[in-house]
Amino acid sequence: MGGHPFLADGVDFGDVLLSLVMVVAAFVICLVATMLMVWFERKVVSRLQNRIGPNVAGPFGLLQTLADGIKLFFKEDIIPTRSDRFVFQLAPYLSLVPAFLTFTLVPIAGDFSGGNGSSTVFGREFYWQVADVPVGILFFLAMSSLGIYGIMLAGWSSGSKYPLLASVRASAQAISYEAALGLSLASVLLVAGTLSTHDIVLGQAGSLQTLNVVATGFVPFVVFLIAGTAELNRPPFDLVEAEQELVGGFHTEYSSIRFALFFLAEFMNTVTMGAIIVTLFFGGPAPLFDFPFIDFPHAWWMGFILFFAKLLVFLFIFVWFRASLPRLRYDQLMDLGWKLLIPLSLGWLLILGGIRVARDGNIGIVDDSIGDTIIVLVLGGMVLAVGASLIMLANRNARSERLRNEGLVAVANPDLGTSRAADHATTGPPGASHDTAQVGADH
Amino acid sequence: MIGANLLGSSFGGVLAQIEQTPFVRPHIDWHAVAPELVLLAGGALVTVVDVIGLEKVRRIIPSLTSLVFLAAFVPVLTLWNQQGDLPRVMWDGAYVVDNYSLVLKGLFLLSGYVIVLLSTNYMLEGDYYDSEYYQLISASVLGMLVMTSARDLVSIFVAIELVSIPAYLMAAWRKRDLKSNEAGLKYMLMGVFASALLLYGMSLLYGMAASTKLTDIAAALSIGESKPIFTLAIVFTVVGFGFKVSAVPFHTWAPDTYEGAPTPLTAFLAVASKAAGFVALLNVVIIGFPGQADVVEPLMWVLAAATMTVGNLIAIRQTNIVRMLAYSGVAQAGYMLAPLAVFGDRPGQATSAVVTYLVIYAAMNLGAFAVVIIAARKTGSGEISSYGGLFNYAPGLTVAMTLFLFSLAGIPPVGGWYAKFEIFRVLTDGGSGAGVSLAIIAAVNSVFAAFYYLAILKQMWFMPAPDGDHSRISIPPSLQAALGVTVFVTIVTGSVLIGPLSDITKLADLALP
Amino acid sequence: MTSLGILAAEMTNTEVWVTNSFFLAIAAVSILAALKMVTTDNVVHAALYLLIVLAAVAAVYVILGAEFAAATQILVYIGAIMVLLLFGVMLTRAQIGSETDLDHDQKWIGALISVVLAAVMGYSLWEAFSDAKLPDNRVPQGTEAVADSIFGIYIVPFEAISVLLLAALIGAVVVARRD
Repeated sequence: MGGHPFLADGVDFGDVLLSLVMVVAAFVICLVATMLMVWFERKVVSRLQNRIGPNVAGPFGLLQTLADGIKLFFKEDIIPTRSDRFVFQLAPYLSLVPAFLTFTLVPIAGDFSGGNGSSTVFGREFYWQVADVPVGILFFLAMSSLGIYGIMLAGWSSGSKYPLLASVRASAQAISYEAALGLSLASVLLVAGTLSTHDIVLGQAGSLQTLNVVATGFVPFVVFLIAGTAELNRPPFDLVEAEQELVGGFHTEYSSIRFALFFLAEFMNTVTMGAIIVTLFFGGPAPLFDFPFIDFPHAWWMGFILFFAKLLVFLFIFVWFRASLPRLRYDQLMDLGWKLLIPLSLGWLLILGGIRVARDGNIGIVDDSIGDTIIVLVLGGMVLAVGASLIMLANRNARSERLRNEGLVAVANPDLGTSRAADHATTGPPGASHDTAQVGADH
Repeated sequence: MIGANLLGSSFGGVLAQIEQTPFVRPHIDWHAVAPELVLLAGGALVTVVDVIGLEKVRRIIPSLTSLVFLAAFVPVLTLWNQQGDLPRVMWDGAYVVDNYSLVLKGLFLLSGYVIVLLSTNYMLEGDYYDSEYYQLISASVLGMLVMTSARDLVSIFVAIELVSIPAYLMAAWRKRDLKSNEAGLKYMLMGVFASALLLYGMSLLYGMAASTKLTDIAAALSIGESKPIFTLAIVFTVVGFGFKVSAVPFHTWAPDTYEGAPTPLTAFLAVASKAAGFVALLNVVIIGFPGQADVVEPLMWVLAAATMTVGNLIAIRQTNIVRMLAYSGVAQAGYMLAPLAVFGDRPGQATSAVVTYLVIYAAMNLGAFAVVIIAARKTGSGEISSYGGLFNYAPGLTVAMTLFLFSLAGIPPVGGWYAKFEIFRVLTDGGSGAGVSLAIIAAVNSVFAAFYYLAILKQMWFMPAPDGDHSRISIPPSLQAALGVTVFVTIVTGSVLIGPLSDITKLADLALP
Repeated sequence: MTSLGILAAEMTNTEVWVTNSFFLAIAAVSILAALKMVTTDNVVHAALYLLIVLAAVAAVYVILGAEFAAATQILVYIGAIMVLLLFGVMLTRAQIGSETDLDHDQKWIGALISVVLAAVMGYSLWEAFSDAKLPDNRVPQGTEAVADSIFGIYIVPFEAISVLLLAALIGAVVVARRD
């Protein structure tokens, strides 16, 4: 049902204190992880581009982020005259807070290889996460949709058109990918049967088949990874800060510590999204499978090591995306979201549901639940194929009709061609007009 | 499964926490929901065919839609035939198929069919987005079908929104015309305002009954003395529905919307959409509020009297026939509200009077709109003066219009008089002062109404054609069919078929708990 | 933290006190934000104040143990509807600073009606529910219960809503489309 065990029997002063300690600890961990993430990204991107990257401040350049932060902190904080002051100052915090709040849901340690992931301190049994909300996944979705406010309001309140354009883009993108994100999550919920992150991790512990990435059939994971990258506004979905089109994007007018906060929020979001992927699809702190020969110590820090290792893989993948994929064009972005990811995850959810009903023997086409499963699989595949071909047929017809209509327009409006020619004549090639001018001057 | 087993063996305690009470699949009587399902499947089919075929299938979409309506009518008939199984109750009483709902389902499906007939040429010749229009019409009619059977607040609210939201959009369908934009916008703004009031009333009802089912609400409202909160909830709910049925003083959207919207859609709004509002009102008032008749009846008395009087008085001054029909529709809504002012003693009789009125009103009003659409094909105008000389060049059409106007005015032997007669009978049967006084007001209003109906007759029969153009009107087959159906129903309901009709609508007594 | 711990067990006096003071604080914030929302002279600010009101409602849901409703409130209203609303505002008139044409002559009549309505509704609600108390050991409303009733007695409206959304989508595309 969710909730720390120590909260189940009323709340006393110690419980409140423990909760506060967890909040502070999580905040510190989150900040340190973010700092390291900035360093990690710069270092990995450098190596992928055959450069060295930061290597001066501290060992391996680890303190580079700190140095940058201190520098930004002492720079002049400029607030444009035409901005909406209050909202302008509020926006960076609005983008930071949801990132951290999502992180509070993630179980980062605990022994899941045999235990239930709880540890005990001062006689209080707790989980290694700040809050195990009963509606955890919904809370995650809610927070990821709240994250957009920071960007939107920053763009609007700057009182400048490029940031505004960026924020309009950002909100359209976030809403488009929110649907794919939610639908791929629905597959996880179907398999897990619970919304609480702790219980989802618990349900995945033990073997490879119970890992959600396997149990949901890989497709939701891929959709989630793509949609998650889009939600983060990271490359190749970083149209929000496309320098070539929008100057700096939504934070063009920001400087000093507020700019640093946006920067921080972006990387905190990245870490959080990686952590959520690990939690939902790869069992978080639980081991991937039962190691046959080695008996790992059953302790909370083992979970932390596992979690961190998995997280690192996904952070690397995010950086890898950034280093190797070119930015999508806006229509490609929308096509990918609406025409591919949403139908795909919706269809997959339906098939997954059918399979699970058949597997539990609730359909009864044949006596055998495996037979039922196969029948459902075949039927589902057929329906999917028919649906896909109908969509393709409709797309093809629509395209040919559009072409025909455009052809008709061109025929019905013959002066389209002439007006272009007339344009050309009046402007003329630069040389020609120059010549005439010369002639006129001569006379 | 393997995972669950493993979990179970290692820490059953946690699993017990995760385990839920098993979900019991509700019993679904597929035959009873067949009309809705057929319409749903048909609407989906129309959409898919349209999306894939595009321009190539544009001409068959209206025929396909009308076939869908007729196909959905078949299960209504088969359900009607199995009288022994009625009422079929599903989902713990939240959805009921009984004679009342079957009569109305049939009414809505046939109205939808006639609307499609009226729309076919209009949509094609006006070069509007026509396939999408038919999809929206089927969605709206689906909402009406759900409404007839809905017996809990959530279903009623969703159904009324399913009826209204496609209608808001269709009212703005003539995009190039500012009047149509205005129509859609006014309708939507007033509609969502009404929905907000309705929802607030419903939330109060739910707060008192802790259930959304109308029967539970009736029980909660019947115990103890009346509280202000009951009145508040009832007023909000009734006012919300008042907007939907365009009762005075919540009628202000109607004339502009009716004038600006595409004319077939105006017919749809004036007949089907309004009827759906009445069905919702009947369901909620008759099933949900019988314990609070003291509150509802005076409210309905005032609404009915104001609606019929104001509607008629303004209708007299209209020069545009669509606006005139709009205000006459407001007045007609007043007559239909009247039985609810005395429903406390005779809920069954009041219900069947309203249902009778709805059936006859649908036929005569759709017919009048058919004539308006046909005449506009030649004159291109909605002004009453443009009807001059109609008898000279379109005698058949003039006779049909005369029948419809007689019926609207309540002159025997065509349908309208019987509808009014039923209303008067309900009002006067109890002999209560409120009922009799309302009957007198209704009678005075009927006389008023005859004025403006007769004014049109005068134009058609005796006046010369304004532009002297006496060329004949060509009536396309779909409009001929629509005219035929409506003329037939209007005539028979007032004369030869009164007996069977009254049998059907008597069966339609809600047979209340 | 979750409200689960507070609500599942019998409530002590302190807990009642804490819960009530939280409720009062949230109610005060929500009322103030609602007032600011109708009086502010900037559309975006009005949207932001509305955001606070909606968030306060979500907070009340949490106090009542209706966590699913709370999460949905945030997800749907704040995360989707208000984002779309701001999106629409920014596409059309994202003016910074005060806008004079948001005011109109009938505001005092409107205020009067609001006050009368608030008095009537407040009195009725007070009269009906002032002595009502929440039960001591409430079970928080679970997501499963919501799901069961959606696929139980509310299956017809649930399906009808899907048709409604599809129809609204088709119609909106037609009406909004430029041609």
